Amino acid sequence: MSEAVKQPKQKMSFSQKISSYGTIFAGISLIIIFSILSPDSFATVDNVINITRQISFLVIIALGATLVMSVTEFDLSIGAMASLGGVVSAKLAILGVPIVVSLLVPVVIGFMIGLINGAIVTHFRVLSFVTTLAMGTVIGGFTFWLTGGSTVFENIPESFKFIGQTQLFMIPLLSIIMIILVIVFWYVMTHMTLGRRFYAIGGNEKASEVSGVNINAYKTVAFALCGMLAALTGALLASRLGSAHPTGGDGYFLNAYAAVFLGMTVVRSGIPNIVGTLFGAAILGILANGLTILQVPSFMQDVITGIIIIAALIFQKIGRE
Amino acid sequence: MLLQTNNITKVFGGHKALDNVNVTFEAGTVHSLLGENGAGKSTLIKILTGVYQQTSGQIIWEGKEVNIERPKAAQDLGINVIHQDRQLVPYFTGLENLFLNKTYPKKVLGGIHWKRMREQANALKDKWKIDIPVDKPVYDMTPTERTMLEILRAMSQESKVLVLDEPTASLTDKESVLLFSLIDHLKKEGVAIIYISHRLEEVIQISDYVTVLTGGKVTASLTKDEITREKIIYHMTDGQQMNASKKEKADLADQQVLLTVSNLATKDDKVKDVSFNVHAGEIVGMYGLAGAGRTESMEAIFGLREKSNGEVVYKEKSYNKVSPKQMIKEGMILIPENRHDEGLIMPNTISHNMTLPILNEVSSGGVLTRKKESEKVQGEMKRFKVKAVSANQTVAELSGGNQQKVVFGKALLTNPDLYICDEPTQAVDIMTRNDIHSFLQEQASNGKGIIFVSSDIQEILEVSDRIIVFSEGKTVADLKNKDIDNHTILDICYQHQKGEN
Repeated sequence: MSEAVKQPKQKMSFSQKISSYGTIFAGISLIIIFSILSPDSFATVDNVINITRQISFLVIIALGATLVMSVTEFDLSIGAMASLGGVVSAKLAILGVPIVVSLLVPVVIGFMIGLINGAIVTHFRVLSFVTTLAMGTVIGGFTFWLTGGSTVFENIPESFKFIGQTQLFMIPLLSIIMIILVIVFWYVMTHMTLGRRFYAIGGNEKASEVSGVNINAYKTVAFALCGMLAALTGALLASRLGSAHPTGGDGYFLNAYAAVFLGMTVVRSGIPNIVGTLFGAAILGILANGLTILQVPSFMQDVITGIIIIAALIFQKIGRE
Repeated sequence: MLLQTNNITKVFGGHKALDNVNVTFEAGTVHSLLGENGAGKSTLIKILTGVYQQTSGQIIWEGKEVNIERPKAAQDLGINVIHQDRQLVPYFTGLENLFLNKTYPKKVLGGIHWKRMREQANALKDKWKIDIPVDKPVYDMTPTERTMLEILRAMSQESKVLVLDEPTASLTDKESVLLFSLIDHLKKEGVAIIYISHRLEEVIQISDYVTVLTGGKVTASLTKDEITREKIIYHMTDGQQMNASKKEKADLADQQVLLTVSNLATKDDKVKDVSFNVHAGEIVGMYGLAGAGRTESMEAIFGLREKSNGEVVYKEKSYNKVSPKQMIKEGMILIPENRHDEGLIMPNTISHNMTLPILNEVSSGGVLTRKKESEKVQGEMKRFKVKAVSANQTVAELSGGNQQKVVFGKALLTNPDLYICDEPTQAVDIMTRNDIHSFLQEQASNGKGIIFVSSDIQEILEVSDRIIVFSEGKTVADLKNKDIDNHTILDICYQHQKGEN
């Protein structure tokens, strides 16, 4: 009895949380369309697993972007940070350090650079947009100096490729790492004081300050975590490819923000959120995967991806009015 | 007669902001509008300048009824406003700002004819006897130069009515004199000046007519020889005498002193010299005219504004550089003046708002304890009778009164010993207002200290044990709320204005 009473209530709150079904509808339609057009290659278990691995990099870097955006800031250095992370970890692997160290060092570097980003933005009250854009240039230059501009691939030990290329019970280790990180940060953002304070700052910085939240400290933490996740993405990418290009991570920058923005259209409140980001990254991943299977040329893929993002944003705006 | 309002009434959501207002503005005179905050001065100006439309009544311009639908229509008639927040582009020079709403003189090929522009500007300067360096960028100009520039721009559009809204707010006395001589010149040229200022002395000095508004009604129309301070204050309080209506408490002077502020000043000079103390169990009212520095003083004490001088001693400990976080921990809480921008996080839920200052208490190891949080929030919602669907409703959806109750619930959860309430009953319904008053009285009888900032003199007299009067960034009086009335307090406010700036 009580179950029956409860159920409609839960349904209500679920539908209340979702503002525009547009994005979700688009995601589902994509899956249906691709399944119809190429049932033998798209709609297979192998391909689904494949997609989870393909999107793992985008999801992890976009998690960081979500954190920074939740405190209403931007970090435009994440692409360059990912490139640096890849190069540093590959270089370390060549030096023969244990694989854990070659992943951990770039993560620490990313965290530190994020701290610097946050400190500059909060202490001097300069726009994060410009600060991190400049920081991205600095990082890019540094990466170029480290590599001399060429791809790092010679003498990379096989063991370095372990994380990027191993599967556990058919599931790629990369996908498992992605899922763990999504759960961790979802928990942080929804069940911990850190996430609560991030969202408070994002909702109203001044009111949060009056309520005793240390704005500068929490914003800086968001930047640091973002830098860390970006560098980790680069390191995982290098492990997957067995090589690191000095601009290998740059391309993830715009897609990461596209994923966050798509994710924001999923919830009613329109705020950056972890589940939404995962969803946004999945749409972008499914699109890339499906269009590649259909042998749509890559320039056309870009056109379609861009149009879908714009459409999602417009639908959300219309939906709210 | 140049401009006349005929039974102008403006209703905002059932509330009459203006009630059958009749005012006449003559060419070549200075006509001052006086009234406390919310008396309807700005509403009247906004109607005359096309920002709002009156609910009923007519505007008569040079004998004919006119419809001022947009600000542009007012400008076309020749009504211009010089605002407190100046409408100038900081990075443009005076010359460029002067031509902002006009077509620039062009050369044959379409380039700007700077020489002609300068000539036109100089002609204007000569005509109106306004000497300002037009080649300076605005960000480099002094406040007077900016005001003069705006007036010059208004006059270049052949203004017949010039509204000056608190033009001396950021000017020194010497600069004000310059402005007054310009006003005098404009007057002689036949311009009607509508003057708004809370500085009574200058109003008395320059006005030909004074209209006093109280609660949206005209309570007095005075001509030149009737304009005296006593008369104005009498009419601003609507002739009513409001006395201390509060029951006297046992002497609180022996109680522990919770807070002592001495010679407080802020870096931005909004607060110049503020001293007062608050005892445990005491409600201290803070009264002053707009811009007297009350809010800024409270912010400095709470760590939201940078101090430049003075000492704040709270519970026998001296604080120099503080943050709200630290002061909350020490048992002080601020209920900010602006609920919307500082009091609440509008898109967040009641629950998330209330527990924000005490997240460490409702969590362990950084993980929120939902049960503890919910208990605390439910307790406050019940105590303050917050009307909401649930604690998960966003505060933006609540009424003003209920929003303020959430603010108070949040404050109470921090278990403070001193409440600093800045206009806590602003824009709330009567019921909530009473609830807030009795809540604060109850807290005071439990030995808490209360600072009560309000621009409503009656409310101050109703709730305070003691009243501190602010004027121009300074505390000028410390009165026991006994045998005093609104006239005494207003008189003190205005008396202290004429001093140096």
